[in-house]
Amino acid sequence: MTGDPAAYVAGRYERGSVVAAVVIAACWHVGYDLTATVGNWSVYRWPAAVAGAWLAYVGIGAVAARALLRTRRTAGAVWGLAGAALALDVIVLAACPPHEVLGPGDWPWGSIGWLAVLLFWWRRGPHELIVFLALNGVVMLAGMALNGVLDRISLARFLMVFVGSVTLQLGYSVATHALTSAARRAAQVSAARMEADAARQVAEQVHADRLRRYAQVRKAAAELLKALADGADPADPVLRRECATGAAWLRRLIAETDDVPDPLVHELRACAYDAERRGVVVSLLPRGAVPELPIETRRALTEAPLEALSRARSEARVTVVANAGEVVVSVVADADDFPIRRIEGVRVTKQREGDVLWIESRWPGR
Amino acid sequence: MDREPLARPVTVAVVDDHPIARDGIRTWLSRDPLGRVELIASGATIESVLQGPGATADVLLLDLELQGVMVIDRIAELCAEGRRVVVYSAHEDPETILAVLDAGASTFIAKSENEQHCVDTIVAVATDRPYVPPVMAGAILSDTRPQRPRLSEREKEALLLWFQSMSKASVARRMGLTEATVRQYIDRVRVKYAKIGRPAPSKAALLARAIEDGLIEAREIREYRSFAAGPDPAP
Repeated sequence: MTGDPAAYVAGRYERGSVVAAVVIAACWHVGYDLTATVGNWSVYRWPAAVAGAWLAYVGIGAVAARALLRTRRTAGAVWGLAGAALALDVIVLAACPPHEVLGPGDWPWGSIGWLAVLLFWWRRGPHELIVFLALNGVVMLAGMALNGVLDRISLARFLMVFVGSVTLQLGYSVATHALTSAARRAAQVSAARMEADAARQVAEQVHADRLRRYAQVRKAAAELLKALADGADPADPVLRRECATGAAWLRRLIAETDDVPDPLVHELRACAYDAERRGVVVSLLPRGAVPELPIETRRALTEAPLEALSRARSEARVTVVANAGEVVVSVVADADDFPIRRIEGVRVTKQREGDVLWIESRWPGR
Repeated sequence: MDREPLARPVTVAVVDDHPIARDGIRTWLSRDPLGRVELIASGATIESVLQGPGATADVLLLDLELQGVMVIDRIAELCAEGRRVVVYSAHEDPETILAVLDAGASTFIAKSENEQHCVDTIVAVATDRPYVPPVMAGAILSDTRPQRPRLSEREKEALLLWFQSMSKASVARRMGLTEATVRQYIDRVRVKYAKIGRPAPSKAALLARAIEDGLIEAREIREYRSFAAGPDPAP
């Protein structure tokens, strides 16, 4: 079974309806058709043909039920089987003497509709089933005409049986299909609501986290402004560094537009936050959507950049550029050199520019 | 780039609703050792700046958010009037930057970018030359819209390293090229972008100047158009 709850729920309803349809057809065929065949054995012109028709019905029903229950697909050559079912009509009509046409002995025209319900189960819409039932009616009317039983009472009986069986067969098919699609819709709606709930909860957490950090930066800014108002020297390098750190922090909060951060960016952000608390001015610039990566790949990608970030003394620029097929993480920071570990699947490049260390890791490493 | 003294300083007008930001920009511009840029007007609204001497400034430096309102939709009309608009903002997400470029702005500077980018950008724009600050390079790299121009592998690599390092000298060392070639790669990308989006006098001037400078050939302009029009097979 797939993981999709809508498909699962709808699948269970569908299977239940299919089983019920097979059981109805089987009970009808054994309970009514068989008794009618046996009870009229002496009435038929060729009883063996009727017995053959009864068995052929079982055969067609078995093929249709097997296709429905095993493969969940329409049986091959579905109209061929439907044609064979209509042929049963003709065979039994021919075997009946005129007075038994429309009588209990002429059972197929009331019951082959159930075969059609099974045969056309997976077809889109009830159109083919309706065509089949109409053809069944036409065959029966033609049989009645040929046998000269078109009097008022016979026509009334025909209509009664025809409307009764069509209502049951068509009604069952349409109603169960509607039930299945309603179940599918209900499951889809419920899954969508759960997804939205989960997304909302994450977004709320992210929002709360941002509010907390905003409060922190606000407090830091207020302290700095108060110090300046109280006459602190704006030329003081310590004060300027604190201002720069606060500004970088604030800029990052403004630039954060993602509701649910990607795990890789989230990790970098957490590390940037730690560096900022040490007084490092960090710019973090993620660009593009990071594809879903195995956790080892993500670790391999971030190992060297995170090391560089943690060694930054005063400034660091962290960038992530990603698309579906490539992720490039880079850190440029005034950091000490450190040895790079070779990791399979990721290419790490190191470049030193005077004071500045430039680390870049790429996936896939080529 | 273009660090030689100019015949006359470039004139610039600043629209920003924060007095302290206007003062900051004035200080940045005045600190350029070559004195290449002169601030001739500044104010809190587009109207107040354009009514005075700001109307004739070579470059209009525009804060994207004025009194809490994003003014992206004003950019197109300013550019259509023949102004060279440089947008700067703390909203540096790629969608915003690409929308600003599409509207016809000459370039986009992120508020996190330092003062050297600011002066270099204004001078480049005033002489109708392309300038791609690093944050804009990042936005271009994440452009997945169907109408995006087709960039060569080397252009993409130069943009990526420029976005990472903010130093063309470092990019040149990494790619084993001269700094001038790196600049050419990056500038060509901006020229390609001038071919898409809304036409504006400043874009036409940029393309003309690019041909004069030998950055592109006249026939390439048509090629860019056909690339932009057709489906792009590159991911």
